[in-house]
Amino acid sequence: MAAGVDCGEGASARQHVFLVPDTACFYRLTDCGNSALEYLKDASKKMKSGLMFVKLVNPCSGEGAIYLFNVCLPQLFEIKVFKEKNHSWFINESVQSGGLLHFATPMDPLFLLLHYLIKADREGKFQPLEQVVMDDMFPNCILLLKLPELEKLLRHVTEEKEIDKKKYYKYSKEKTLKWLEKKVNQTMAALKTNNINVGARVQSTAFFSGDPVSSDKEEDYICYAHGLISDYIPKELSDDLSKYLKLPEPPASVPNPPSKKVKLSDEPVEAKEDYTKFNTKDLKTVKKNSKMTAAQKALAKVDKSGMKSIDSFFGAKHVKKIGKI
Amino acid sequence: MESSDGEAVDKRRVHLRPVTLRDPAPILLHLLPCEVLVNRPAPVGLFFTPAIRQGPDGLEVSFRGRSLRGEEVVVPPGLVGYVMTEEKGEVLLGKQDFSEGLEDDEQEERELVEPPEALERDFDRFIGATASFSSFTLWGLETIPGPDAKVRGALTWPSLAAAIHTQVPED
Repeated sequence: MAAGVDCGEGASARQHVFLVPDTACFYRLTDCGNSALEYLKDASKKMKSGLMFVKLVNPCSGEGAIYLFNVCLPQLFEIKVFKEKNHSWFINESVQSGGLLHFATPMDPLFLLLHYLIKADREGKFQPLEQVVMDDMFPNCILLLKLPELEKLLRHVTEEKEIDKKKYYKYSKEKTLKWLEKKVNQTMAALKTNNINVGARVQSTAFFSGDPVSSDKEEDYICYAHGLISDYIPKELSDDLSKYLKLPEPPASVPNPPSKKVKLSDEPVEAKEDYTKFNTKDLKTVKKNSKMTAAQKALAKVDKSGMKSIDSFFGAKHVKKIGKI
Repeated sequence: MESSDGEAVDKRRVHLRPVTLRDPAPILLHLLPCEVLVNRPAPVGLFFTPAIRQGPDGLEVSFRGRSLRGEEVVVPPGLVGYVMTEEKGEVLLGKQDFSEGLEDDEQEERELVEPPEALERDFDRFIGATASFSSFTLWGLETIPGPDAKVRGALTWPSLAAAIHTQVPED
């Protein structure tokens, strides 16, 4: 939170600029079936609406991240923040510092479930899902159990057993890698259709060929896609996936992985600090490297600045309170 | 406070009032290439907007003695822009039974929603859309931000995210 920002005279509430899907999935709360309503009544009388921002685990870092959950559908949305240094908004007749732009996009919940399945696999046995998806740090994770077609999803990453009509699941690395390969492939396809310049070595090739755009190779696409998917899985699995896909040893210039190397799950504080350092470092690299596409720069930025700024949702009240006293 | 499992859970929930998403007023947004370290009302329409000129290569305005060049950025198809604001005095603001009256007249809904009622927990927080937008003006310092503007890259994120998060077919 930007300290001191809120305390000027006439200071008003922080305004968040959001881009959300313009689809029924986001709005159509009137379609709330009885089951969802029942769920609301049963599971938490405290919920006030179908849409809420909740803190759940970031399946890559293991730290907390903000998601948007539509309880009615139900559907999970990922929130990412685009932040560029030295920007601000004029919003109608007001000014808003920071210039943040938030994105809410539908998220595959299996990435989050996978985090818990891998964790639970230390027990080495088949377990019912509600026993797997438990989290003292992020108790909202139980919301995930309400998502539709979980059984179908889980088939991608688990072995299952059915005893007395109850399903028990066990993480399967083999199946997960197959699933992730498909994810990488469909992401690659999107990179190509969106014409995103993925050249990992754009910088150096540019010096020689002078034509960085045409230098994008299949390998660059797959590395880039692997990097994007790696943002949603633990580091170990990302490495395994890299081997599974027979990718070359990741060069330092692959846009996403470097930040992950410093994010050791058992050292949250230090990892966080490194994380920030990488942010600034990336920013500088990005600025110098004019050959990177806008998308790359922005994505690098989006991915890395997200968690921090997003925390202002939850941090604000506390900070304000202290400020007022 | 009163409930066992609730406290940690609800502390981490910010409810988005769904009715506020239905049709908030469209507004003008400007993304400025400078840091302004306050969040508060500002007479934008008095000093900034009237000074905007259509120059040979885009919009021009002067802000804090610096020359800005701007262009319109349209929100990509499939997306809609909202400005969301946390409700002030959030801790005591009303509870919303979203099962009622969403189909009814919107004015009525707002009346239904807005009267504050006591909450059973003091840490629930609420956020709502206060405005909507389908484009914004992107300003660059001295030069037009152009197609390489970082924010334009960011706008491609949703289509990429869709590819990442679409379910894969089963074998």
